[in-house]
Amino acid sequence: MDFHEKVSNEIRGGVRGTDQGCEHNPCHFHGQDCTFCFCPLYPCEDPELGSFFRGKDDKPVWSCQECYWTHRPDVATEMHRLLADRGGGYGAPIDRAGTKAALERKFSKRAKAIMVLGATSGAGKSFITAALCRVLSDRGFRVAPFKSQNMSLNSCVTQSGEEIARIQELQARAARAEPIAAMNPILLKPKGKAVSQVIVEGRPYRDMDVTQYYEGFVRNEAMGIVRRNYELLARTNDYVVIEGAGSPAEINISSYEIANMRTAEVADADCVLVVNIEWGGAFAYIFGTLLLLSEAERRRFKGIIINNMFGDAGCLSSGIDRVESELGIPVLGVMPHLEHSLPTEDSMFIASKRSSAAGKLVGVIRLPHISNFTDFDALTMEEAVSVLYITEPMELDLVDAIIIPGTKNTIHDLTWLERTHLASKIRELRGEVPILGVCGGYQMLGDQIMDVHGIEGGVCQQVEGLGLLRGITHFDAYDKRTKQVSGELLVGAGGKVRGYEIHMGRTEIAESRGLFRISSEGIPYEEGSISPDGMVMGTYLHGAFDLPAFRAFFVGLIKGRNGGTEGREHRTLDEVVEESLALSARVLLDNLDLSHLIPREQKGGR
Amino acid sequence: MTASIMVQGVTSGAGKSTLTSLICLYLRDQGFKVAPFKALNLSLNSYVTYDGKEIGIAQAFQAWAAGLEPEGCMNPVLLKPSGEGRMQMMINGRPFAEIDAHHHGPGQSIVIDAVRESYERLRRRFDFIVIEGSGSPVEINLEGRDIANMRTAVMARSPVLLVGDIDKGGVFAGLYGTYHLMSGPSQRMTKGFIINRFRGDGSSLGPGIEILEKKMSMPCLGVVPMFELRMPEEDSLGMRGRRPATSKAGDVRKVWIESLQGLLEASQPGLDLRRIQDIGLRGLD
Repeated sequence: MDFHEKVSNEIRGGVRGTDQGCEHNPCHFHGQDCTFCFCPLYPCEDPELGSFFRGKDDKPVWSCQECYWTHRPDVATEMHRLLADRGGGYGAPIDRAGTKAALERKFSKRAKAIMVLGATSGAGKSFITAALCRVLSDRGFRVAPFKSQNMSLNSCVTQSGEEIARIQELQARAARAEPIAAMNPILLKPKGKAVSQVIVEGRPYRDMDVTQYYEGFVRNEAMGIVRRNYELLARTNDYVVIEGAGSPAEINISSYEIANMRTAEVADADCVLVVNIEWGGAFAYIFGTLLLLSEAERRRFKGIIINNMFGDAGCLSSGIDRVESELGIPVLGVMPHLEHSLPTEDSMFIASKRSSAAGKLVGVIRLPHISNFTDFDALTMEEAVSVLYITEPMELDLVDAIIIPGTKNTIHDLTWLERTHLASKIRELRGEVPILGVCGGYQMLGDQIMDVHGIEGGVCQQVEGLGLLRGITHFDAYDKRTKQVSGELLVGAGGKVRGYEIHMGRTEIAESRGLFRISSEGIPYEEGSISPDGMVMGTYLHGAFDLPAFRAFFVGLIKGRNGGTEGREHRTLDEVVEESLALSARVLLDNLDLSHLIPREQKGGR
Repeated sequence: MTASIMVQGVTSGAGKSTLTSLICLYLRDQGFKVAPFKALNLSLNSYVTYDGKEIGIAQAFQAWAAGLEPEGCMNPVLLKPSGEGRMQMMINGRPFAEIDAHHHGPGQSIVIDAVRESYERLRRRFDFIVIEGSGSPVEINLEGRDIANMRTAVMARSPVLLVGDIDKGGVFAGLYGTYHLMSGPSQRMTKGFIINRFRGDGSSLGPGIEILEKKMSMPCLGVVPMFELRMPEEDSLGMRGRRPATSKAGDVRKVWIESLQGLLEASQPGLDLRRIQDIGLRGLD
């Protein structure tokens, strides 16, 4: 069969999406479209998409091995439409130049990069990045978020089992893109004692201390990882919205810094600086940040966003004038302080959320290595429920339910629980208030934790758990389970649950009842466990509160000061997040002039 | 001749109150008769002195650190937000006026006179006054109306120290940007900078500090470690995300001062308090 015939067959075959059955899949990237395994535009000879190499007989041959354009689902669909609609039937000659030109009007061959940097941590980078993703997606562009290196204990698992920071998953949702590891290729999860678990491209890579990370990894490997993952996103999207890390002007570590200006250079990004005005000194941070950068770096900045303004922005005009005239960079606008339900990025900003003064108070133990505390955002959606982060035993007298959350270091934090006498207080309250352990907290609830290989703390040890659930946790191997799962609740009124597991270690359960039946993997199995009296329970499932069923069950167990009422918030966390994303895009457009940064118009032809 | 030193901050919550308290405690240990002063305080947490004057809680704490009983003249102007942009203005510890969101209130001269008189009263009785600034000294939009920072420093002829919080990130930018936005005379009155809330070992800051010292033509007077200081909270900002106060047996003031002594010890290797004392004694040229 000659090339022309193959292409004709492809057009006849219709849009195929990803060919899951193909042994080469994915030959280019996860989620690729395989409609045109043979590109109808070959040889396009477009230097942006491929290059010539010398063939066997020294003749130049066109290679487009590294071109992903044809395999973008949106490009493939449109190309198929153009070719199927052309006159003359399937065998008719293809107007390669005309088809390509039509596609180029609609789809970028290489994504434009916009990068959001912060003057400080907590400036609002993550939020602005998410809002920009949503605005661009609303205008019809194919968008991906990117953060080269993230340090966060809040991670989640993609469909293919890769671990990325939760915030990039949220931004992917804002972009209406499927979250993939390339969006956050380096993830650092602090384990304590200056050691972090380094996750590369979604998989555990190694534990490193500060020196190993900066002197070894950052110097030798990191930029290569950043480059190849950015490259993948650049070739498969119209826009990549990049989030920086911390401040780009940390002049004490500039040679080790990869997540800000070096990433901007790799992506040739237009940069925006976000500054949080809540603390005061915003203009100082704007000037200081930009003046400490080099001239070439400063030239990348196309705008400044003043974020988190309480009150009237009118009083800032003299400051804004001075910024614009002295630095020559426009202030795009002032974002008002906004209450939204988007997950928080950093443990730095853990706040005790009280949704109302009265009602039920859920105490979450503020473990030293607390992780995935975004699990409890969904609880605060309930009208009558407040969450209080607890560090002292007497605070437990205030609460109507106790949650021991996930941790990056179960054994260390369990020892801490005992030392601070929180453990004995929790044991005292057993039976009076419902107690839930999630992930590391679940492991703590059991009888014992065996770490014979020193996987957790570097030394072989066996420690007593809280003894509130019958079960033993083993750390057998440097192995990590990262899996998205769904299933149903086995207790109370039942109902759907969904979540993800991220943990090392496995728990041998000796309780008679499980908490969930997980059915998403071939063989259904029971997950978690609950004590015979139903007052102590544990699970590995992060996000178990996201859907209403388990939330209602847990909240229903609380006697509380107002008597037991059912959970009343029937929206899922997804729905609430979706509303918040729509709101964020609207507020961004209402308050900022983005005309220099992104096209004003809806993407052509849609 | 009374010596003075003033602590100004890059942001709210940068550590001005803490540094001021620490310097009070140190100078008292050195045998000085030392008193704290803050011209204008915006705070909901106030303390009532023995003679019924209402002042910011931080000044009361600083007075205890200095071994004194708090007095009204340590904080002549106190603004207490009452919601929707309205504030109650206290002058010399007594309610004076209600002001609205646009700061339409009593004429500035009344406020400035109150500040001057209070400071004068302290100056006559003490050897050393440690002054705390308010917010950032370079809020461009407040220019000309900010009395609690450089205008107070000029009135007191006090050398100024600038403190930035490294825990937020961007501390070099914050310090340098603040310096950049100061007027020439204000820059010359500023005699050093301090980095607060540092986690980790000081060596990693070295290159950054050197660059700043050169660019700002002033020394770094120290790096203060991250420390869980138990002290009464001044700013509404710090309240969020803080654990609720728990009642412990005994006098909480004693606990506060002991905690401050703990910070003084923890700061000793990194913070050059002796040099800060000398800068205060030397005064402005």
